[in-house]
Amino acid sequence: MELQLAWRLFKRELMQGQLLLIVLAITLAVLSVSGLARVSERLQVAINGEAANFIAADRIIDSPAPLDEQVLILAESLDIKHVTNMKFNSMVYSGDNFQLVTIKAVGDGYPLRGEIELSSGITQALPLTGEAWYENRLGGLLGYPTTLELGNTELNLSAEISRLPDAGFNPFASSPVLLMRLDDVDATGIIQPGSRVSYVYQFAGEAAALTEFETQAKPLLNNSQRWTDVQSGDSPIASAVKRAERFLLLASLLGIALACAAIGIAAQRYCQRHYDVVAMLKTFGASSKQIRTLFGIHLMLVTVLGIVLGLIGGLLLDIGINQFLPAEIAAYSPPYSRPLLLGVSTGLISAFMFSAYPLMRLLAIPPLRVLQRQLEGLQFGMWLHLLLSLGAMALLGYLYSRSIALTMTVVLAVLLLGVLLSILGFAMIRLGHSVGMKTTNPFQLALAGLRRRARQNAVQLVGFSSALVLLLTILALRQDLLNEWQKQLPEDAPNYFLVNIAPEDTKPLDDFLDSNKIIATDIYPVIRGRLTHINDEELISRREEKDGAEGRVGISRELNLTYRETLPPNNEITQGTFNQADDEVSVEAEVAERLGLSLNDTMTFNIDNQSVSVKVTSFRQVQWETLQPNFFMIFKPKALEPFSYTSMASFHLNDQDLKQAGSDLTANGVVLQLIQQFPTISVIDVGAMVGQLRQIIEQVSLSLSLVLALVLLASALVLIAQTEAGMATRQRELAVLRTFGASGWLLRSATGLEFALLGAIAGILAVIVAEFALYMLKTQVFELVVYMHWPWWGIAPLAGAAVVAFLGMWRCRQLLNQSCSELLKAG
Amino acid sequence: MTQEGELTILNGINMDVKQGDSIAILGPSGSGKSTLLGLLAALDTPTSGEILLDGQALSGLNEEQKAALRKQKVSFIFQSFMLVDTLTALENVMLPAELAGVVNAREKAENMLERVGLSHRLTHLPKQLSGGEQQRVAIARAFICEPKVLFADEPTGNLDSANGDKIADMLFALNQESDTTLVLVTHDLELAKRCKRQLVMENGHLSEPAVSEEQNVSEEAC
Repeated sequence: MELQLAWRLFKRELMQGQLLLIVLAITLAVLSVSGLARVSERLQVAINGEAANFIAADRIIDSPAPLDEQVLILAESLDIKHVTNMKFNSMVYSGDNFQLVTIKAVGDGYPLRGEIELSSGITQALPLTGEAWYENRLGGLLGYPTTLELGNTELNLSAEISRLPDAGFNPFASSPVLLMRLDDVDATGIIQPGSRVSYVYQFAGEAAALTEFETQAKPLLNNSQRWTDVQSGDSPIASAVKRAERFLLLASLLGIALACAAIGIAAQRYCQRHYDVVAMLKTFGASSKQIRTLFGIHLMLVTVLGIVLGLIGGLLLDIGINQFLPAEIAAYSPPYSRPLLLGVSTGLISAFMFSAYPLMRLLAIPPLRVLQRQLEGLQFGMWLHLLLSLGAMALLGYLYSRSIALTMTVVLAVLLLGVLLSILGFAMIRLGHSVGMKTTNPFQLALAGLRRRARQNAVQLVGFSSALVLLLTILALRQDLLNEWQKQLPEDAPNYFLVNIAPEDTKPLDDFLDSNKIIATDIYPVIRGRLTHINDEELISRREEKDGAEGRVGISRELNLTYRETLPPNNEITQGTFNQADDEVSVEAEVAERLGLSLNDTMTFNIDNQSVSVKVTSFRQVQWETLQPNFFMIFKPKALEPFSYTSMASFHLNDQDLKQAGSDLTANGVVLQLIQQFPTISVIDVGAMVGQLRQIIEQVSLSLSLVLALVLLASALVLIAQTEAGMATRQRELAVLRTFGASGWLLRSATGLEFALLGAIAGILAVIVAEFALYMLKTQVFELVVYMHWPWWGIAPLAGAAVVAFLGMWRCRQLLNQSCSELLKAG
Repeated sequence: MTQEGELTILNGINMDVKQGDSIAILGPSGSGKSTLLGLLAALDTPTSGEILLDGQALSGLNEEQKAALRKQKVSFIFQSFMLVDTLTALENVMLPAELAGVVNAREKAENMLERVGLSHRLTHLPKQLSGGEQQRVAIARAFICEPKVLFADEPTGNLDSANGDKIADMLFALNQESDTTLVLVTHDLELAKRCKRQLVMENGHLSEPAVSEEQNVSEEAC
């Protein structure tokens, strides 16, 4: 019977639109979770895949000695592909020419991710036995030979490499790369016990297997072995990916919290609407069990509908987004199980836990309500509602993020937000106390309305403001992240780097660039030097420290030093000043911290066997992820001018720009001319890398916009639900005012004004809280620059007023047009 | 209890209602009529005293037992109709029968609606019906389970006099047909006069005077 009755009630209420809000709220929560889980998983894989191309694998273990077999066996058992490579420096000879090169001896299967770009095109093959492929710089340096001598062997040079997938970005890489087969290394006889060799083990496989591998393999590694993945910080996109991931997760969690709030409000309204039904059913003798079952089934039907619609919506969202994704990403289809499971559990948890309290109140409605309409039964403590709601939010947050810390942060933030907004909202509405209760002026009537419903309005205000706060926060963060990336990779980001520019080539190079209408962005003199002392204390190497030596550990390699009158762009001074004296140096902040430097310390460098002492006058933050030449140490010209140097420069060049400038040449043609004219200058083409980076950023931006849209939808729903919540009392008041002769115009203006005032207050509160939230998020989570969003202080209250007034008037339009008797009857 | 202290609404009430009787309880607003109705119908519990409904004492019953008793023996008609606004006329009438587990609830409901002259309005929602029609649906709902006692709280209070008369006719006709005991709370002297007995409630006390045309019962203003 209960099932039949519940179904009938459900069917009728659904057809009459009474369940629209609660179904929509559940749908949105389920849609957000299931859709986002799938889209973000897909993007995650795509982003990591693109990023993996930068390291030619998913994971890398770098080791000074061959790796324990156990690790490789473990990888195989987890179905993870692996390839072993060796990397070492050696001299190669071609006739009378010789050159120090970096030998990359690779095993079959290299590269596991990405492709090798040869000057003749892209390949997945490797050099044959007895052959080697050379980096284009090496050709220029040795005069394009056909063979090279390496140790005891002679290798045929069969192809020229334009780019290796794991070349990384290091314009200072002093020696060009020679790629050969790992099997050929023995024959060279170069590797002897004690030789400095790096064994590079690359791994690639499914995400779950890789995670498992990481858990099991890491404990097997020793201190000298280094674990690298796409986010280890070496790749230029690591920080972009990390930030985007954090943002996606945060925004999704906030989106879910908002959808939950909408469910909470809608559930309350849903229950309130059934108070009379329950009272009537009890009067006619329905037992508690019958009513519990009836509404349990009814709510379950509502929830199931919401879940089904949400899952369909999530699927459509996924399909829609797929249309915009590159084909190779769209082709990857993560399993449906997780989004499905997440969606269903989100629907059930949110619907039942948020409805639990209103439902308990509903079930406690006394039958006597049929005679005494104001009776509402037991008043359970609000703490129970709060506890259940926060519990639901925490459970959902954890299910989605699988991070207790993040979940707790969001839940606590939401709690804090609620408390803060309640206090502020109540105080602000109370401020209107001095205004009289005249009913002739719509403004005064609106103020009086606000004050009369202070408590209810404070609750509404919390709803409106929270929705706006979260919306503003996500909006600002998304914009800042996009701006940051745009700044990192502007349209005219340099795609060519020139290194090893001899001082005598500087002028002719300038002329060459000028004649081709190329604007070089920066020219930096590069001088190599070793840091030997800090405050006259001799520095020791890490190896010496391991052997028991005591002292401050320095940097055990030569550094690229440069000098400038002013600091380059993207270098932000965190402490001190630059450009005060001739013997000063500005140090990159992280290195300074590692070396334990303080301002005014003296650093001594050994350059061309001469000691140069300079005073530390500033620390700088450098954006390593930008494709710009960056330096640990920047001197003033006076200190370094006496030393010999080469220079480096970078410029942006593409076919289109050349065509516009009236040149007949293509970019490749210009670069070829440059190489021929200046054979000692090394040209590094980073165009492909820039393109790849852009693609990743576009995908990430897309996901950010998607999350923003969902948060926007959730906010709108909260606003609508909140407006809906106060309708019953408003209806009674309108009826009374109408009966006493208030004109339609007065009532319409007063209602509109009341909503507008409420919206404006919500807007102001939202800006205050959002600025604070952004300050916390930017400094603690995203490492972004903090600034005030002044335009918001005007826009948010205005927009809040407009939106809330529109929603309120729209919802009240029927009430406002009804006659007195209709209103009284309905009330 | 109120903020001002203890408030006595009903005091020294002693009355018997016989099977098949119809009684009207008259009295000014706030005199305690509805409170008495709630107590008699086992919707409320008195602080002291005893009520027997069809021989069964209500004081020992918990809420569930009271609900079961109401399901078996009692029905209601309200001033504000109390129809479920999302259910059709037919479905509203079926409700009590379904709660009581009556097998042919639909047929019975159709039959009841025919008896109150609404067989052409079965699928209409309450908001599509006039006030009089809504109260007729409520009457059909009240009689579907053939209750022993019917409690009516201002059944014509929301209707104009023509519709009020029609409803009253219908109510008393059905009451007689089904030999139901009718307890009616009203301001309407005409309606009260149609009952076999009239009781007047004043300041929480109940008396049974002879009702005269001139007796003044204050009307509650809208």
